[in-house]
Amino acid sequence: MELNDANLQTLTEFLRKTLDPDPTIRRPAEKFLESVEGNQNYPLLLLTLLEKSQDNVIRVCAAVTFKNYIKRNWRIVEDEPDKISDLDRTAIKANIVNLMLSSPEQIQKQLSDAISIIGREDFPQKWPDLLTEMVTRFRSGDFHIINGVLRTAHSLFKRYRHEFKSNELWSEIKLVLDTFALPLTELFKATIELCQTHATDINALKVLFSSLTLISKLFYSLNFQDLPEFFEDNMETWMTNFHALLTLDNKLLQTDDEEEAGLLELLKSQICDNAALYAQKYDEEFQPYLPRFVTAIWNLLVSTGQEVKYDLLVSNAIQFLASVCERPHYKHLFEDQNTLTSICEKVIVPNMEFRSADEEAFEDNSEEYIRRDLEGSDIDTRRRAACDLVRGLCKFFEGPVTAIFSGYVNSMLAEYAKNPGENWKHKDAAIYLVTSLASKAQTQKLCSCSATCKWNCSQIRLSCILIVVNEFPVLKADAVKYVMIFRSQLPKEQLLQAVPLLITHLQAESTVEHTYAAHALERLFTMRGPNNSTLITAAEMAPFTEQLLNNLFKALALPGSAENEYIMKAIMRSFSLLQEAIVPYIPTLIGQLTHKLLLVSKNPSKPHFNHYLFESLCLSVRITCKANPTTVSSFEEALFPVFTEILQNDVQEFLPYVFQVMSLLLEIHSNSIPASYMALFPHLLQPVLWERTGNIPPLVRLLQAYLEKGGATIAGSAADKIPGLLGVFQKLIASKANDHQGFYLLNSIIEHMPPESITQYRKQIFILLFQRLQGSKTTKFIKSFLVFINLYCVKYGAIALQEIFDSIQPKMFGMVLEKIVIPEVQKVSGTVEKKICAVGITKVLTECPAMMDTEYTKLWIPLLQALIGFFELPEDDSIPDDEHFIDIEDTPGYQTAFSQLAFAGKKEHDPIGDAVGNPKILLAQSLHKLSTACPGRVPSMLSTSLNAEALQFLQGYLQAATVQLV
Amino acid sequence: MPTKNVIDERLSKFKNKGKDPAKLREKRISVSVELRKAHKNENFLKRRNITLSSLPDEEALSPDYCSTEMVTPLSMEEIIKDVTSESRESQTRGCQAARKLLSQECNPPLKEIINAGLLSRFVSFLSMDDEPALQFEAAWALTNIASGTSWHTQQVVEHGAVTAFISLLASPMLHISEQAVWALGNIAGDGSAYRDVLIECNVIPALLARICPDTPVGYLRNLTWTLSNLCRNKNPFPPSSAVLQMLPSLIQLLHHCDKDILSDACWAISYLSDGDNERIDVVVKTGIVPRLVELMSHKELSVMVTPALRSIGNIVSGSDLQTQTAIDAGILNVLPRLMRHQKASVQKEAAWALSNIAAGPCNQIQQLITCGLLPPLVEQLKNGDFKTQREAVWAVTNFTSGGTVEQVVHLVQVGALEAIISLLQVKDVKVILVILDAINNIFMAAEKLGETEKLTLLVEELGGLDRIEMLQNHDNDAVYRAAHTLIEKYFSDADIEEVKVDTTVDAFAFQSPDVKRTFEF
Repeated sequence: MELNDANLQTLTEFLRKTLDPDPTIRRPAEKFLESVEGNQNYPLLLLTLLEKSQDNVIRVCAAVTFKNYIKRNWRIVEDEPDKISDLDRTAIKANIVNLMLSSPEQIQKQLSDAISIIGREDFPQKWPDLLTEMVTRFRSGDFHIINGVLRTAHSLFKRYRHEFKSNELWSEIKLVLDTFALPLTELFKATIELCQTHATDINALKVLFSSLTLISKLFYSLNFQDLPEFFEDNMETWMTNFHALLTLDNKLLQTDDEEEAGLLELLKSQICDNAALYAQKYDEEFQPYLPRFVTAIWNLLVSTGQEVKYDLLVSNAIQFLASVCERPHYKHLFEDQNTLTSICEKVIVPNMEFRSADEEAFEDNSEEYIRRDLEGSDIDTRRRAACDLVRGLCKFFEGPVTAIFSGYVNSMLAEYAKNPGENWKHKDAAIYLVTSLASKAQTQKLCSCSATCKWNCSQIRLSCILIVVNEFPVLKADAVKYVMIFRSQLPKEQLLQAVPLLITHLQAESTVEHTYAAHALERLFTMRGPNNSTLITAAEMAPFTEQLLNNLFKALALPGSAENEYIMKAIMRSFSLLQEAIVPYIPTLIGQLTHKLLLVSKNPSKPHFNHYLFESLCLSVRITCKANPTTVSSFEEALFPVFTEILQNDVQEFLPYVFQVMSLLLEIHSNSIPASYMALFPHLLQPVLWERTGNIPPLVRLLQAYLEKGGATIAGSAADKIPGLLGVFQKLIASKANDHQGFYLLNSIIEHMPPESITQYRKQIFILLFQRLQGSKTTKFIKSFLVFINLYCVKYGAIALQEIFDSIQPKMFGMVLEKIVIPEVQKVSGTVEKKICAVGITKVLTECPAMMDTEYTKLWIPLLQALIGFFELPEDDSIPDDEHFIDIEDTPGYQTAFSQLAFAGKKEHDPIGDAVGNPKILLAQSLHKLSTACPGRVPSMLSTSLNAEALQFLQGYLQAATVQLV
Repeated sequence: MPTKNVIDERLSKFKNKGKDPAKLREKRISVSVELRKAHKNENFLKRRNITLSSLPDEEALSPDYCSTEMVTPLSMEEIIKDVTSESRESQTRGCQAARKLLSQECNPPLKEIINAGLLSRFVSFLSMDDEPALQFEAAWALTNIASGTSWHTQQVVEHGAVTAFISLLASPMLHISEQAVWALGNIAGDGSAYRDVLIECNVIPALLARICPDTPVGYLRNLTWTLSNLCRNKNPFPPSSAVLQMLPSLIQLLHHCDKDILSDACWAISYLSDGDNERIDVVVKTGIVPRLVELMSHKELSVMVTPALRSIGNIVSGSDLQTQTAIDAGILNVLPRLMRHQKASVQKEAAWALSNIAAGPCNQIQQLITCGLLPPLVEQLKNGDFKTQREAVWAVTNFTSGGTVEQVVHLVQVGALEAIISLLQVKDVKVILVILDAINNIFMAAEKLGETEKLTLLVEELGGLDRIEMLQNHDNDAVYRAAHTLIEKYFSDADIEEVKVDTTVDAFAFQSPDVKRTFEF
């Protein structure tokens, strides 16, 4: 691709099309860009566009495209083509810093990201001048440029916060410190001075404070791994200034916005983090400064308001206090009763309160509220930080702190009692205090405190279990959450008392409330009772079954809960708990479930919801068909239309699920395959399905079910599809990750297809396997291969096995025995697999004349010895070092996950079954038979060459089988 | 055919495979790049001579000697003139003046003296056995120059001082010989290269020859320190033949009653025991381990704690057998007190040693329990300095991966789980990962007992679930994956399982392989 106007024009057009909402225009444009990105100059064309295009939209689009291009292609992966030419790489590195610094902010951010991606690969070795180039810009005096540099530095250095210590990493940090630490310190001091000289110029201050925040972030990154010598020597400068900045206020920098944190808040939060880092890791060196910081942060907390914009600052500040107060040598800073009281009163209690912002979230943004409150993503919230602080204080001052808070809980409850309508938030705070503090403690703590009423638990507990119906929604949600959290500590009678109330709450209009009710029920249903059964039994649920199912499905119709994963999970869990009790309801429910499935398949967006939906479908099928297998057809009738639509529209997320449900259904059929399945068979062999990795395991399973139920049918009416079926096998066998799936398929073919239908392909199959064995053999492959050849031997006989080997290449049979079977059989794992191998080898030993009469005879004793070892020695689970993680880590692109359904599980299948009970006995009997056919030979071979220990074991088998060798 | 069991089983085997017991033992040599200020070590690499121990008393007290101390110092020109003159008297005077300049507390003019070209003169004076005063002054001056930076030491060595000093060791004048010992100590302390040059020149027999029952203590202190420097430094370590030569004398010195001698001898042992199991073996075979443990427990010998503990720490990082000798010597009776020592650095070393013992087989873990190591371990996890906490976390992880189910249960009961959970918020990625590993180990023990459910609840109650969930957002991939796996495995009813597989693209037709080739496996 030339760097010319025509190409720029083309690229502009395609970039514009990638922004089109219509997928029929967008997708081809994206495809086109992907197809040309390997050309030289492509990245330079993008850079030109983002710099020079007249259209701002195109500039930003080019910047984003460039960033993504770098992200995908910059890293050079061994054995994969390098898509970026060396010339382009050099040109990008030479220009990008300048370009980034001169671009408007939107583009600057993209380029800054790109620089950090490149930096991750090339810095420092392959980009030696980057640092000095950046440091030089500090002297430019232009803070827009300086901030650009600082931002880039931040994106380059922030990985020091989360990477493991290594010589390589530390050498890099050392290099950075050597060139960067001093200029950064100078810049820090100069910026602070400028803040004083420009104290009245709001525009200047804004820029300067952004710089200070970035500098503070860089400080955090550079100090994270260990305390660098430079910063230890310059601690005075940094800490004195940090402390001053913490106490600084400037009216001009205060913002009116209630939500968004202002520059002052961002800076101070970062400084709190920096102080916390030093306090935690470099205590010895930081000690002299710490008390000052405690005072400053303490004052900061007392004087900061309740607005959302201060949330991060307040929670970081409280976290700092929390981490300091639990260290023994700082105990004295807190132990004064007045200090404790005022921490509780002025820091903890105000931050535990339910704020209007929380109330808004409860009503309007329930998803976010639930995520924060239930799923523990409230790490940065004030409430969480306040809890951590209480816990920290309890370490040394449990007595006084508990006393202070039980006073508070009492007074909050009293306030509420006075005027519930006005003061309900007090009760919320009281419940929160009790739940969050007590739940973190040991089980017995709750009991002990409820006995002494320290936390006024019993009163709260009672009101929670009764889940007063005429309460405020928030309090009802609190109560439900209380039951859920303390479920393991509440006596069973109380839980059973709560169940019908929770079922009622499923109907609540408030999303949070009915979601919590569903979640609480789901949790209660998973509790274990004695003998590993569920704590709550289906019988105990009998009086509520109908209402439970009704309310759960009705809740799905409530506004905002159409794809509520908690409700769907509760449905799944209820089915699983109630078992056959649900059968009468299934005819109605299955309709509702399939209807739901049809709706969500239009646009799958909630993976968890969808997963539980499919689990619920599986449960419906299993439970109903267990009682009456013939009902399977009614499920097929209900489900196939939706499945067909999903298959036709290629709803990729759902295909692995559909295949699993179909397998489950087909496996219920007894030994015949309905025509509806056969109609689908050719489609299952389409390459496009097999290209998605998530489809492979469920598709293999489905094809196995086809073969099991319809091997003969396929051989009869679909014989022309056999090459396609084997093609799938060939594809799978070629991959180190999927070869075992290929063997599953092959084994089913051998076991279930009429022998004559595959006669013509047998040789090819073996040749393919041998090629793979020669080209790249792994332990996994060998294990599967051994199982397969032995299954073949069991099915077709030892002679057939020997003949097909030797027809491919003379003496092949001996080579495989000698090089693969004898040395590797010890590695085979799995009960069924072991049985197959034992029976197969026994047949080779005793039913294959070539083993007795040809040069293979020399292998007879070694093979027998290997078989006895296989019976008696522990499994050899050693794996060569180079293939440890071959199929998990070394495979590129594992994006598509296979979502396995727990309730679609398959029984283990044993192709030999009861025909052979004990393979050791079979060996004894078969040897006996062989010895009678050629008297004298077997005992003489045994006595001359079999290892004594093995012989002893063998005699044991013979005795057990009550046979003797002649 | 089982569909997924085979793979699962295989994966679980990989996990066990990954737990190579040798990797559990954390050796302190892992990272050699340092960001921290090099801290003043407990003993010095090089020392400058400002006062002298074995200067004959009568000379030190003689009015003549004192008076020379008080004369006005000579200028550099005068010194150069004197030293380069041919008169013995001037040479001695110049040499002494130079030595005094080099012995001043602040900014001794090492470089000036070198640049003045005096080094070759000094070295030539060393061999003048008939001029002991001159010999002595020259030796002292050179000692102090060699105490400077590597460059300074290099100048001394390149002027041929090594062999001259080694010859001087045999001097009948004790203070001259001592000066030579000192100078050689400085040269040996420079690094492995010069250390090995000295060893090549047979410094060891010459030094050892000076150890006899009537060697004065002061002399012996210097000699022990020099020996310790000959044991010091790695990449490479000192040749094992040299180590074997020195060890008997070091062992003998470890039974001396002077604490400085003990301390340096002990440091020497700590250097010798740092490294692979073979090096540890050489030390253990001398039978010194019980003495090391004894030295650690002497309350009045506080200087001994660090080097003795370091030596023992090194030994327990070795094989199980080597560790057992330290246990048999009673290390576990001493460790609880050291875990609570007032110095944080000692706590850290003790916790490190503990973590290595915890990496051993379960009978050794049992001994840890019996000797009461768990309470101080939990105390350190909760209240220790960060560096000690880090070692303590390793101890827990090692303990949980090698301990029996009962032992792991015991560990949880004494509060270790609670303590490591609250450490999940530390700002150190490796520590977090090690903790997640420990939690996983504890879950595996719970699985064996069929008490997974109970443990899930306990972890939830201790605030662990929240923290582990948070870690799923961690920027470090390994941490994210470990947290994710724990959540998937134990906290989400195993509903959704991800199986990672690979893609290959090809059209399928069952193709007969074209190429005829011979198979050979």
